[in-house]
Amino acid sequence: MLEVKNLVKEFQNTLAVNDISFNVPPGKIFGLLGPNGAGKTTTIRTILNIIKPTSGTIFFDGQPIREDFLNKIGYLPEERGLYKKSKVIDVLLYFARLKNMALIEATEQIDIWLKKLDIIKYRNTKIEELSKGNQQKVQFIMSVIHDPELIIFDEPFSGFDPINQQEIRELIFSFISEGKIIILSTHQMETAEKLCSEIFLMNNGKEVKSGSLESIKKDFGGNHVEIKFSGNISTISDMKEVSSIDTYNNYAEIQLSQDVSPSLFLKKITDKIDLNHFSVVEPTLNKIFIDLIKHEKN
Amino acid sequence: MNKIFTIAKWEYLEKIKTKIFIISLIITPLIIMIFSILPTLLADKESIRTKLIGVVDYSDIYFNQLSFELEKFKIDDTQPYYIFLNLTDKNKTIDLVKAEADSSVMQNRFEGYLLIHHGNIDSISVQYRSQSIGSFRDIRRFEDVINKIRIQNELSAKGIDVELANMIQKNVDVEQIKIEKDGEEGKQNFMIVFFSAFIFILLLMMMVIYSGQMLVRSLIEEKSNRLIEILISSCTSEELLAGKIIGLSALGLTQILIWSLIGIGLVGSAIIPTDAFQNILPMLLYFVIGFIFYTTIFVGIGSVVSTEQEAQQITTFISLILVLPVVIAVPAIQNPGSMMVKFLSFIPLTIPSIMLLRFKIEVVPLTDILITLAIMFVSVIITLKLSAKIFRIGILSYGKRPSPKELIRWLKEKN
Repeated sequence: MLEVKNLVKEFQNTLAVNDISFNVPPGKIFGLLGPNGAGKTTTIRTILNIIKPTSGTIFFDGQPIREDFLNKIGYLPEERGLYKKSKVIDVLLYFARLKNMALIEATEQIDIWLKKLDIIKYRNTKIEELSKGNQQKVQFIMSVIHDPELIIFDEPFSGFDPINQQEIRELIFSFISEGKIIILSTHQMETAEKLCSEIFLMNNGKEVKSGSLESIKKDFGGNHVEIKFSGNISTISDMKEVSSIDTYNNYAEIQLSQDVSPSLFLKKITDKIDLNHFSVVEPTLNKIFIDLIKHEKN
Repeated sequence: MNKIFTIAKWEYLEKIKTKIFIISLIITPLIIMIFSILPTLLADKESIRTKLIGVVDYSDIYFNQLSFELEKFKIDDTQPYYIFLNLTDKNKTIDLVKAEADSSVMQNRFEGYLLIHHGNIDSISVQYRSQSIGSFRDIRRFEDVINKIRIQNELSAKGIDVELANMIQKNVDVEQIKIEKDGEEGKQNFMIVFFSAFIFILLLMMMVIYSGQMLVRSLIEEKSNRLIEILISSCTSEELLAGKIIGLSALGLTQILIWSLIGIGLVGSAIIPTDAFQNILPMLLYFVIGFIFYTTIFVGIGSVVSTEQEAQQITTFISLILVLPVVIAVPAIQNPGSMMVKFLSFIPLTIPSIMLLRFKIEVVPLTDILITLAIMFVSVIITLKLSAKIFRIGILSYGKRPSPKELIRWLKEKN
């Protein structure tokens, strides 16, 4: 279990992280979400001991983090890059050795992973000669080669094509069953919704919402409807029963005002618009995210 | 410790394969050879052909004696260096003879000619007229001989014995002997001292600049591809710093080793005098400690930059600081006992180069060695600490270069 308590990080005149606390249990994917500049990366860097917090503590398995903690963490940063002039095997071996792996074990594991990701034929190739997708794979291997207990993925799917994304997603799921602690930082809400069971949403360095995905959806659920229609939507969007509306082409997600039941709402709109489909839905994480961040601004 | 070794090994192996390293390995000794050995070779090499020299002397006093004395100089003990040709023609005016001789020189009929103007008995003026300014050695010989003839003639005119005159004219040369420990004598030749000490200082500076540039470049790469974040989440910044410095120092030592082998090869073929390798062990000590000291400074300052351009500026700046001891070396060697040299041999930035010089010029007292080594040792530790602090923050700051004010704040920040 990773525990972050009252974490504050102040840069010159700006509070990047303002008193946040959360726990990450093993065997779950913890989504660290927020818009750009929310303080996600700063939080991650603090956990990784890259920067020192202004105040607050981080505990790992009930202990304050020590130097050997560095050997138990894996990190896939958002911005990727490798030593371009060096060979795949050399780079992987270097970072595995930096995580205190024994030489033989490291070599074995590297070959296993290169095979698993289908790039074993590039073992002795220079990084600069690989395609971007394959370079990303090398970097992914770099973050998990030493069988870390805590893995932090910052936008893990960027730069991968759909097939590789699927492959990486499956690998990440496999880490759950191995009981690893996994933090996933992203602003792709669809990805987060599919993968994360715990969510920590932050903005301007502060917590906005946290909890399990289910409970968050429940808090927001109950009065969301989805309609498909033909005709002019403006007649609906002006109704007082509508709290907010996101319209797409012939399709809209509507959040009803409090105390308005979906069935009552259905009755009122049937004569205003040509309705093809009506359903009561759970709000998407994307919707929750946008609403919460907008609400923050106001 | 383990991680430091891993980093050092990586830095060493990755850099030793780079083109810039291999090039510097070859180019540097080449440049140094060109700058240090070639001039001495050129200056010492006598021309191997006989020069035909004309003489215009209306007094008739000098020609015979001059050609007699100067034709004693032989190439390989057989062929004379100079053959003299009397151009004096009493039927023509001196101006006419001069004009003819000038045009003969232009047509390469002879190398040049001596124009001797005789005024009153004790005043003559001599010109050597040729297409190019004559070699130092030739002119010195002409002067010596002409002076000798003049003085001998005057003395014998006053009735003084020629033998006595010769004796009076004998020059006394002061030979410099440096007394080494155990009363050993070491003959010192200024040029040899100068160049051998200079070679070591130049080597040190070039190595620092080369490897410093490599270091800054690799730091920029790690910053721009964010590998630095993975590195710092795998080891402490002190380990990273130490690993890089050790790796680079090993690289430097490899360079020295290879250059030494080249040097020994050159000594074997008698191009470099054996004298250059006197006191090599203590010098090596200063060399290594100096290298570590400068590299540490480089790491601290280098971690601040984030673009290739800034790196260029900053390495130029550091290089200028490094060249300072080389500039100081010249007055230092001319006056080794001066206060300035004493003073500079206790300043960390100049200790390595000044000590390298002092080992060549004088017998350095043991207390001086111990004190300077202690100063260097302490300085290395202090710069290591300061550099580590700048490094820790610098490697993670991107974009704008920090102002001096910000740097001071970084230094004050607690870990």
